[in-house]
Amino acid sequence: MAVIFDGIAYGLQLGLLAVGLTLIYGLGGVLNLAHGQFAVVTAIAATVLVDVGLPMPLAILAAIALAGMLALAFDASLMRPVYRLRGEARVLLSLLLTIGAAFVIDGLLIYYYPFAALNVDISGSAVNVLGVAMRRGSLAASLLAVLALGTLILFLRYTRRGKAVRSVIQDEEGAQLCGINPARVRTAVFVLSGVLAGVAAVAEGLTSSLGATDGLDLTILALIVTVVGGLGSVAGALVAGLLLGIVYTLSSFYIGAYVTFIILLLAAMLTILVRPSGLMGKGA
Amino acid sequence: MLQVEGLHAGYGDSIVVHDVSLRIEAGEAVAIIGSNGAGKTTLLRAICGLLPVVSGHVTYDGNTLERIPPHRIARLGMAYVPAERRLFPAMSVTENLELGAYPKRPDSRLSALVFELFPRLADRRTQHAGTLSGGEQQMLAVGRALMSEPKLLLLDEPTTGLAPMLAEEAYASLKRLRGSGTTVLVAEQQVPLALDLADRGYVIEDGRIQLEGTADDLRDNPDVRQAYLGLSDQGAG
Repeated sequence: MAVIFDGIAYGLQLGLLAVGLTLIYGLGGVLNLAHGQFAVVTAIAATVLVDVGLPMPLAILAAIALAGMLALAFDASLMRPVYRLRGEARVLLSLLLTIGAAFVIDGLLIYYYPFAALNVDISGSAVNVLGVAMRRGSLAASLLAVLALGTLILFLRYTRRGKAVRSVIQDEEGAQLCGINPARVRTAVFVLSGVLAGVAAVAEGLTSSLGATDGLDLTILALIVTVVGGLGSVAGALVAGLLLGIVYTLSSFYIGAYVTFIILLLAAMLTILVRPSGLMGKGA
Repeated sequence: MLQVEGLHAGYGDSIVVHDVSLRIEAGEAVAIIGSNGAGKTTLLRAICGLLPVVSGHVTYDGNTLERIPPHRIARLGMAYVPAERRLFPAMSVTENLELGAYPKRPDSRLSALVFELFPRLADRRTQHAGTLSGGEQQMLAVGRALMSEPKLLLLDEPTTGLAPMLAEEAYASLKRLRGSGTTVLVAEQQVPLALDLADRGYVIEDGRIQLEGTADDLRDNPDVRQAYLGLSDQGAG
């Protein structure tokens, strides 16, 4: 039971990490391979701000805002030539440019902050949840993920702006005919995905720690979750995150930590073999 | 209300529409008739900003439209209903209508009007647009356009994919809509239906306007009768 709870907690974090990536893909058919770097930038910025004397909560908020601004800068620079292309050329250019940007960010962070790592410590005794003792950090990370994902889903489902976002995903030309500007929606969602990556960094900092070298790992995890869930599907990212999170913790508990990543990839491969467009992808 | 002068438009290097000029006054219903591939869709898409205008001018309600993106043209009160409908398949009928009113809050008076015009949509409020029949999707596409309270409604082949009876039904609703004073420009290859709705019409072939006149004139024109109405001029009623 405790293992399942840990799996759910980890799965929520995976979903949180992947949801920004999947939204950007759904909107514009681009993949952002610097997604994990947005999380890492948030983590490093928060530790630096704490070092100069800011209280942790304030430092975290400022760092998340920074991730949003970084995303805005991406959208205004790197993404401009990407959105001028169509179809496969667009995905390819987005992959090339964002992985390049990821390397640059990694290089800078590893050079300047090689030992910085975000570690949000809420010490205290374990909390009893339905008879299972949960670590406080893990519980807080889960609550944070549920809050962020819940807000996102409510926003997309019930607000006019959220519906405008979904309309661009479902039919861009139809959205234009309704007076919706797809370029502006894409910019807003790119910023939102940066902010969500920042929140994911905080969740990561609550359960373990997040340092300058972790960007690529996070991007790969987010990609796996996104593909298993179905590119472009928010609900898919959440379900896939939970599924893979549980697989991950179960295998590390019963088999051993050294093979968990392989089993995770196998689970991902199996899902994609059975449903090539992902659990909740279009045309599945 | 809408004036098109010397319009050339197409896809990339291939120009499909050549030197087209036309005008629509407020309150009129105008038909653009022509066979498949004549350039009707290209013309409408260029007017509403979905295709670049190569040369020529489009003026609407005091605005020059050539360089304005489609979402802003939509907000100026010109609503385009494409033949492919372009609905949001995974959203309900109600949500599709709501988005038609974007960025404004949906007006309950307008949605009541839409449901009065298309009672079948009222029964399917919560159903996803993607699960509707072809006829219902066409109704929803027109309904979504009406939610913005458009000054000018552009319709591209509203009978696409509809059985003859449904096509007639669609035009019957358009006629009712016309009765309420909406200005309509409709592109259509089902010429009898279009001329029955319209006050005036333009015949377009090979991307050029070949003929224009009142609906009655066009209906009596021997070339139109032969090419589009399937009648020879001798002895046909």
